[in-house]
Amino acid sequence: MTDATPAPLAPRRHLPSLPVSLIVGIVLLAPLAVAAVAGSWLAPYPYDEMNIMSRLQPPGPEFWFGTDEFGRDVFSRTLVGTGSSLVMGVAATALSLLAGVPLGLIAGYKGGRIGEAIMRAMDVLMSFPPILLGILVLAVTQPAQWKAIVAIGIVYVPQVVRLTRAITLELMQEEFITAARLRGENAAYILFHEILPNIWPPLAVEASLRVVFAILLGASLSFIGMGAQPPSSDWGLMISEARPFVEQAPWIALCPGFALATAVIGINLLGDGLRALLDPRNTGAH
Amino acid sequence: MMTAPQARPAVAPVTVTAPAPEPAPLLDVRGLTISYGNARGTLRAASDVGFAIRPGEVMGLVGESGSGKSTIAMAILDLLGGGGRVDSGEILFDGVDLRRLPAAERRALRGDRIAAVFQDPFTSLNPALTVGRQIAEPLIQHKSLSPRQAAARVLDLLAEVGIRDPRRVTAAYPHELSGGMQQRALIATALGCEPKLLILDEPTTALDVTVEARIIDLLAKLCDSHGLSALFVSHNLGIVNRICQTVTVLYGGLVVETGPTGRVLSRPAHPYSKGLVAALPRITAGRRHRLPSIPGTVAKLSGPPAACVFAPRCPFAEETCRSQPQAMLTDAAGDGVRCWKADALAGTPWPDEESAARKPAPQAPAQPTAPLVEVDHLRKVYGANRSILPWLRRAGTVAVEDVSFTVGRGEVVGVVGESGSGKSTIGRALLALTEPSAGTVLFDGTDLTRQVKQGDQDLRRRAQLVFQNSAASLNPRKTVGDAMDRPLVLAGRADAEERRKTVAGLLTRVGLPSAYADRYPHELSGGERQRVNIARALATDPDFVVCDEAVSALDVSVQANILNLLAELRDEMGLSYLFITHDIAVVSHIADRVLVVYGGTICEEGPTGRVLRPPYHPYTEALLSAVPRLAEDGQEAPRILLEDAAPTPGGQGCAFAARCPRKLGAICDEQAPPVHRADDGHRIACHIPLATLAERAAVFPELVGDAAH
Repeated sequence: MTDATPAPLAPRRHLPSLPVSLIVGIVLLAPLAVAAVAGSWLAPYPYDEMNIMSRLQPPGPEFWFGTDEFGRDVFSRTLVGTGSSLVMGVAATALSLLAGVPLGLIAGYKGGRIGEAIMRAMDVLMSFPPILLGILVLAVTQPAQWKAIVAIGIVYVPQVVRLTRAITLELMQEEFITAARLRGENAAYILFHEILPNIWPPLAVEASLRVVFAILLGASLSFIGMGAQPPSSDWGLMISEARPFVEQAPWIALCPGFALATAVIGINLLGDGLRALLDPRNTGAH
Repeated sequence: MMTAPQARPAVAPVTVTAPAPEPAPLLDVRGLTISYGNARGTLRAASDVGFAIRPGEVMGLVGESGSGKSTIAMAILDLLGGGGRVDSGEILFDGVDLRRLPAAERRALRGDRIAAVFQDPFTSLNPALTVGRQIAEPLIQHKSLSPRQAAARVLDLLAEVGIRDPRRVTAAYPHELSGGMQQRALIATALGCEPKLLILDEPTTALDVTVEARIIDLLAKLCDSHGLSALFVSHNLGIVNRICQTVTVLYGGLVVETGPTGRVLSRPAHPYSKGLVAALPRITAGRRHRLPSIPGTVAKLSGPPAACVFAPRCPFAEETCRSQPQAMLTDAAGDGVRCWKADALAGTPWPDEESAARKPAPQAPAQPTAPLVEVDHLRKVYGANRSILPWLRRAGTVAVEDVSFTVGRGEVVGVVGESGSGKSTIGRALLALTEPSAGTVLFDGTDLTRQVKQGDQDLRRRAQLVFQNSAASLNPRKTVGDAMDRPLVLAGRADAEERRKTVAGLLTRVGLPSAYADRYPHELSGGERQRVNIARALATDPDFVVCDEAVSALDVSVQANILNLLAELRDEMGLSYLFITHDIAVVSHIADRVLVVYGGTICEEGPTGRVLRPPYHPYTEALLSAVPRLAEDGQEAPRILLEDAAPTPGGQGCAFAARCPRKLGAICDEQAPPVHRADDGHRIACHIPLATLAERAAVFPELVGDAAH
């Protein structure tokens, strides 16, 4: 070979530098993670201790973020509720991914009747209002948090399927899929080794958004008595319960609201950072 | 975006200002430096670029992709995107520096006095608006015409760009028009406001060769009749030769040579220009010619050059070249060249690798045993529905109609045709990627499609494909090594260490360092990726490789590289190729036999040397006459310009009848053409008698004497 003098090899990078968004996301989520694990020990007051004498106290040195209508410490309740809220969001999302991604892959890869059947089933699922679907699952049995998680997970399956299928369809046109077929790969290899790695980036972003929606939907379910049960604490439940007092005592919603916002932004940044990290084109600077 | 107007650099050391005896230049670019910057660093797309276009002059701006030619065109139009920034320099249009004008005035100039036509007509027109409305838009915007006046003007414009039924075209949506018609409509849009300067950015690259020939003719005629000046950005020297009076050669964002087209292309002074001219694929009767190529990849600058930019790829480079930046040297006639050795090298051609690397070519098997691939009456219809319910039945679109041919062992068969000719479908059918609607494809005596359907993939691995798009054919999330490892795993090679060695060996085989196994596709250049594609195809140890436009997306210099590699592999490994391309010049370099396909049928088939000489099928003749040539290649034969009509496959008559310049009459539309056969396997499907076809003058007279082939 005399006709090719390749450019000198640049030194190979071994570890891509971490994207900024990933670091910020981790920084935001770290205190929440601590609270989720150790909330009940860190809380200055028991989360369900009522104190009729100090109802609706504004934030002050005694109660940092004030108290609610039963005189419970808002900060303690937020701390203790971290775990259940995050578990709700993350577990429900994981469930929807677990069910949705394979269905979407198959629908996109197979097409035809199988694909149609999957997509129409998803349409039926989507046509139910999420709350109704939640109620459907929970109404027949005793409410419990894991059931709420399952209900929310199911609600979000169609979105995951649609996204996965759309990307799969696009990737199926790519020539590297043709190349895989030409060397005699089976469908499973093509789906899970050629297509799936290319689906993760958009899916990671989607999933980080889903976590947020799942927490909020969990709150709605709690509000109608289907999710977390009073007096247990849950961010969504706390915000819902604060609504009647929003004019007298806006601080009741402030602390859980702030925690929820931190989680939302943190998870979003984490998702975006993961997308960048997973992309081989990433060279670090963002 | 443009920065605030800056003081011009006190001295513009290498600005090439032609002496311009009479008229002042219409466009005068001086010291233009453009950079693209992001967090990862700065890339200089243009460094101190200067050139001038006089009124009525068409200037070619040529170079490989990445040389900065489109960036300069976009900077003139003030349409730099993607973080591009003009750092310094002047763009004088009619004596006014465009960079000093306020944004609103610049915008008013654009589309009015400076108009542009871009590469891809298919994306340049808005699919949701009628063509007429899109042409009328600038007339209403810039010339304040009423919609009614504009509509009348649109009809005139369309007639002027050679559209025969302007009324139909104004009311049509873009998808209803062929690529050639769309590009004509875009040219009409550009002409609408009677501009003084046209920016043509690869206006014919996306078109078929026969359509390209007509569009170039049209542009040359229009520039002449309107006294237009034009900046013609192109990578195709043959096209530049046809339309441009002067040419500016760019490399790594620097002007390396400038001068009259005839001189630059016949006696290039800069080594880079020499290389570009030498690498242009020309029609040759003999296969096995190694094409001259330019090694390496295009230079990317991050700041002012510290040495000659071309030195790493230059066969004439000396120590001085690697240590000192080169200045532009201007001669008495105003021609410039950025090489201190230009005078010394005046008579030295680009080195011909053939003399050094030529090996005694093994003779093609004279009487092949059984052919490797046999295609018998292949027919492929897309979208057909043979339902028992009459209202669901659909005839579908015929892509391939009754095609039969064979590929012998160790043989290279070229398939030449335009877009929509069915050539890719033929390739896909041969690889069992698409199921034939009728007919059979036998691979080594076995029906491959049936085998694959039954789940037997072993035979299929012996037939591989090299794609056109080198980027899309590699999974962006897999390293080169992973992509090549997989076929070995499938072949049952269990030892990972041994597989790694094989991958390294294959990479070396295609001329890449074995360390490339750890790289991701986006880290490679287009030519390197295409080498990886070839290596991956070879990993299954195939007998047969379909190359589907495998070199079409590459720069001429790289194209030559890949063609040489494919020819070498064929010689050493005894591979058979089906080489699918639109470029008959490329095919003449590599193919033993050529099939010319049109509208899903074979018009002409035969040994390469025979197809390139009369008698020709009228379509082959048109294809050959569209091959661009440089002055030194001899007199250009009169070009055969084809009508701009879609092929009519699957009909009763000859598929080419609608566009045929030598159509006999109704018989061509109504009856399938008879096939004239010769003993050496040459066949032509045409109603015109063979004797009449043979009377035509050769498009390439120099090939006729080469009867020995």
